[in-house]
Amino acid sequence: MQTNPINLMLRRLIGFAGVMFVLSAMIFILARIVPGDPARISLGPSASQQQVDAMRQEMGLDAPLLQQYSEYVWRGVQGDFGKSLISGRHVSVEIVTLLPATLELVIVTVLLIIAVSIPLGVLTARHRNSWVDNAGRFFSIVGVTMPSFLFAILLQLLAANFLSDWPVIGRINYSLDLPDGPTGMLLIDSVIHGDWEVFVSAFKHILFPALALAMAGIGQITRITRSAMIEHQRRDHVLTLKSFGVPDRVIVFRYLLKLSSIAPLTIMGLEFASLIGNAFVVELVFSWGGFASYGLEAILQKDLNAVMAVVLVSGFFFVVANLLIDIVLMVIDPRLRFKEAD
Amino acid sequence: MSVASSNEPAVLSTRYMAWYRFSRNPSAVAGGLIVLSVIFVAIFAPLLAPYPDDVGAAVNFRIRHMGPDAEHWMGTDKVGRDILTRVIFGFRISLLLVVGVLGFAVPIGTALGMAAGYFSGTTEKIITGFTNVMLAIPPLIMALAIGNVLEPNLVNAMLAITLLWWTWHARLIYRVSKSIATEDFVEAARLAGASHWHVLTREILPNCVSVISVKTTLDAAFVILFGATLSFLGLGVKPPTPDLGSMVADGRQFLPEMWWEVLGPGFAIFYATLGFNLLGDGLRDMFDVEV
Amino acid sequence: MNNLLDIQNLNVSFRNYGLESNVLKDVGLRIPEGGRVALIGETGSGKSVTSKTILGTLPENAIIESGSIRFDGEDVLSLSHGKREAMKGTAFSIIMQDPLSSFNPVFRIGRHLDDVLRFADRRLGENSNAADRKRRIERVLRQVQLSDTERVYSAYPSQLSGGMRQRVLIGLALLHQPRLLIADEPGTALDVTTQDEIMKLINRLVSENGLSLLMITHNLGVVRKMADDIYVMRHGEIVEHGSFRTLFKTPQQAYTRELIAAIPPLYGPDVEDQPPVDAEPIISLSDVSKSFDEKLLFGRGRSHLAVKDVTLSVGRGEIFGLAGESGSGKTTVARMIMGLIRATSGTVQVDGDTVGTKGQGPDFRRLIQIVYQNPGTSLNPKRTVGQTLSVPLRFAGLRGPDVEKRIHELLAHVELAPHYISKYPHELSGGQKQRVAIARALAADPKIIVLDEPTSALDVSVQKNVIDLLQRLRDGMGLTFLFISHDLSLMRNFCSRIAIMLRGELVETGEPRTVFAEPQHPYTRALIAAVPVMSDEEDRLKPKTSLDEQRRYLADTVA
Repeated sequence: MQTNPINLMLRRLIGFAGVMFVLSAMIFILARIVPGDPARISLGPSASQQQVDAMRQEMGLDAPLLQQYSEYVWRGVQGDFGKSLISGRHVSVEIVTLLPATLELVIVTVLLIIAVSIPLGVLTARHRNSWVDNAGRFFSIVGVTMPSFLFAILLQLLAANFLSDWPVIGRINYSLDLPDGPTGMLLIDSVIHGDWEVFVSAFKHILFPALALAMAGIGQITRITRSAMIEHQRRDHVLTLKSFGVPDRVIVFRYLLKLSSIAPLTIMGLEFASLIGNAFVVELVFSWGGFASYGLEAILQKDLNAVMAVVLVSGFFFVVANLLIDIVLMVIDPRLRFKEAD
Repeated sequence: MSVASSNEPAVLSTRYMAWYRFSRNPSAVAGGLIVLSVIFVAIFAPLLAPYPDDVGAAVNFRIRHMGPDAEHWMGTDKVGRDILTRVIFGFRISLLLVVGVLGFAVPIGTALGMAAGYFSGTTEKIITGFTNVMLAIPPLIMALAIGNVLEPNLVNAMLAITLLWWTWHARLIYRVSKSIATEDFVEAARLAGASHWHVLTREILPNCVSVISVKTTLDAAFVILFGATLSFLGLGVKPPTPDLGSMVADGRQFLPEMWWEVLGPGFAIFYATLGFNLLGDGLRDMFDVEV
Repeated sequence: MNNLLDIQNLNVSFRNYGLESNVLKDVGLRIPEGGRVALIGETGSGKSVTSKTILGTLPENAIIESGSIRFDGEDVLSLSHGKREAMKGTAFSIIMQDPLSSFNPVFRIGRHLDDVLRFADRRLGENSNAADRKRRIERVLRQVQLSDTERVYSAYPSQLSGGMRQRVLIGLALLHQPRLLIADEPGTALDVTTQDEIMKLINRLVSENGLSLLMITHNLGVVRKMADDIYVMRHGEIVEHGSFRTLFKTPQQAYTRELIAAIPPLYGPDVEDQPPVDAEPIISLSDVSKSFDEKLLFGRGRSHLAVKDVTLSVGRGEIFGLAGESGSGKTTVARMIMGLIRATSGTVQVDGDTVGTKGQGPDFRRLIQIVYQNPGTSLNPKRTVGQTLSVPLRFAGLRGPDVEKRIHELLAHVELAPHYISKYPHELSGGQKQRVAIARALAADPKIIVLDEPTSALDVSVQKNVIDLLQRLRDGMGLTFLFISHDLSLMRNFCSRIAIMLRGELVETGEPRTVFAEPQHPYTRALIAAVPVMSDEEDRLKPKTSLDEQRRYLADTVA
């Protein structure tokens, strides 16, 4: 049964579009049934009923729910999530300015997770039950079980006590001029502009937050890589190669590694949601001032429009991340290309 | 591979093998002991805590911000309360949260997961479709949003976490029961005239028990972690209730000098989550199931 | 004569859960230069451990306690690791079993072959370039009759059929012209006709290249033409040893006799003829078809016709055999008769009622029951024998002490002691489990029992007992059996009528005596010709088929 990969990809896309649709409906209903009038929140307790009614009309709150929703979706697709109830600015404008900071943090974190956990997983699986394995397993269980805020605080304490110059707050040394664009991600922009000083400062600033954010993922992915390696080691195809004297390192680093990267990649996609969640905590501790801090602020201030946008944007990134991972998996695993996945 | 496993002529009982795996696994035993100690401390908190009065809104400015010493093993906080006492009672709150969340999420998740796995067609599509959507939502954000809309307190935190948690459980049980449902013994029971209710409760459920217990143990760790994170962000349990997460948040203002105010409750959370996690891992190896 | 391989007093034990178990006990085995030796035994007898010990691929928890393995006079167990590795694939090679899992699914076939060749070359101190290696690989692939070498080379394992993968595995073993070829149940997972082809291929390659062969199998019939010397292994010990003729004519051990009995005769005076049953039909199918649709996102998917225009009838009290290879549609037919799936077109009538109209009702359930192939999965591991048996009884309206009384009766029917009532499946042997499964089928008081390969998952030593039990039950209770199997020699002796299916169609129906004596359809001839038998006379009595005819029905398994 040969199935066209394009068809498969299309099917995934439609599935993800469905996820976004249901998610938007859920968050919309949730936002409309909660106690508290958005117009009232926006204008504050001192506003008159007349003003509130006018605001309600402006926000379209008096239209039927279904119409409100379809308008919301239509605008949302165009990138318009309405105005913040607190600042009065467009939510999408605010998010776009803050998003690069969080994206940069998340990308560095994901790279860190891959760079640490795959080799560690292979190493612990290869030296199963040795001290290397025990140390690696302990490390990964600490990663999984330690709250990220505690890890972030420990890193800050470490810097305060032993690395007096190491920055523990913000994205960059405030005395430096920020490069303007194009991505808004300091590491990339500084390279584009050739600004070495900014790059070093940005790198120093991002290392600890990324590490704190990565710990949970590192723990999880290391464990999954390890158990995938061990699981596949027992399989017949390893015995085939062993029976013909193919060296152990070739079996491990070529044959097993590729096969064993499927499970961790899949999990990585699913873990993406909790990664974004943890970014809330890490951004707070390191005063990162990104999208997640914005989301936290919005939630605390009951800025409904902003909260809805934050949930939808997080969901969107989850979907995109998983789509990318699906493509990578299809490249790795021919069974996904040539056979029906389900 | 069937060849390797069938090479032992002596048939060992599954119970012996399970116990052997568990007892030869020091981290599993350690996890079990940690969990027992946490439960013990939580139950007997009023008897064990050195200053039971410090649980509430007590104030004792004379001894505020005292480092650990013989009288206050973990030091005191910004209003002079004994941190050890509050950590001991904090375990109570954490375990209450675990019981509250898993007490609802596990039965609901199991029931819906089994239904989705056993009845194919529309039931399956609706339940799996819904759990797929829930996956896309960062659970912390959703819980924060729900928790904030309602009043932030223990019961609402429980509610918010439960609303999210059952989907994860349902996904797992769905996968497990779907594979059990294709086994011949399920079809045989149906052919013998058994009702759907009989098949679900007598044929499928008993085969899910080991998976459920492993998942529930691991989940206990994550619920503690999750609840602590919520209250660390100021949206879980409200002061003066001695919650470990909000104690860390409180102490953070006085870093780096008053490090004990953060590290004490912080490591208490870590201790409990580590224990449940080690135990869960041990059980997983013991039952030899995938979770 | 010079022994190429000489194993003496080999003891191997496994350490599991703190317990040590002897897997090989004083095993001795000799293969002369150019000789063909078979090692035969059931699952868990230690035959695969023996081959792994020779190869040096034992798992980590295995300990070689004592003994020696001399290859060409040199004790391989005392060789250095490097020298040992150098022998792999060059001095001796293995043909692996279970072709699907024998290749890493995310690498191309060519990559596997090239790596094996490259590292073997390197160990031999030769430096080979890629183009040269590819030429050598293509030559070997042609040797194992894979003519489209380019396609095989660049295919992923899942893109080849089971028969093709098995051929590649044979090719893998021949890359370096080894002196000893170890074949570990090759083709066991494949259909009879394909398996027969594979055996012929191995036999030819061994004689053409002058190799020595160690053939590991559980089927005595397979080795008749493949080995000069046979070792019978049980519970880690060699229990008997001799030529095929000696073993077959004068078996010394009860176990050897069971192995022989496991392969009933196809022809000759020992064949049992079931008396034909002349009764009104209890099952009748007319023009029944079943298609499965592939679900696609856009448009209509291709539909796959699993059963095509099948018409048959089974008389009351018959043992009706439905034979065919995997994918022939025999299980689909049975499931339609049981009302588990509905026919796309045509009518299925059971005991006068049309299935699908009132077929789902409780009476229908009781009418027809099934015994599955694998008792390991057909009994719920978490329920005792008594609990399992009580389900159909309660459904039939029995309560309280009546249930228990009936369970004791049922256990007596299947010749199990009453105390089995409180046992869990894992406390029972395979044969006992299958008896419980039969008892469960009987509990509903059915008129028809579907037997879905009821003995093929059992060890040979108990197969015969289960068949005898089924026979007695049929005679005693007037049951009708629908027997699904691919084991033609068993069907020849057990069924009163058989039907042969090929790719969803019924190609031939009749009494076994006539079908085997004068098969009408070329596929039936090819199928019967491929069945392993125990004597040359039987081989002679088999229908004659041309190579062409056989190939026609193998078209989808061999490129």
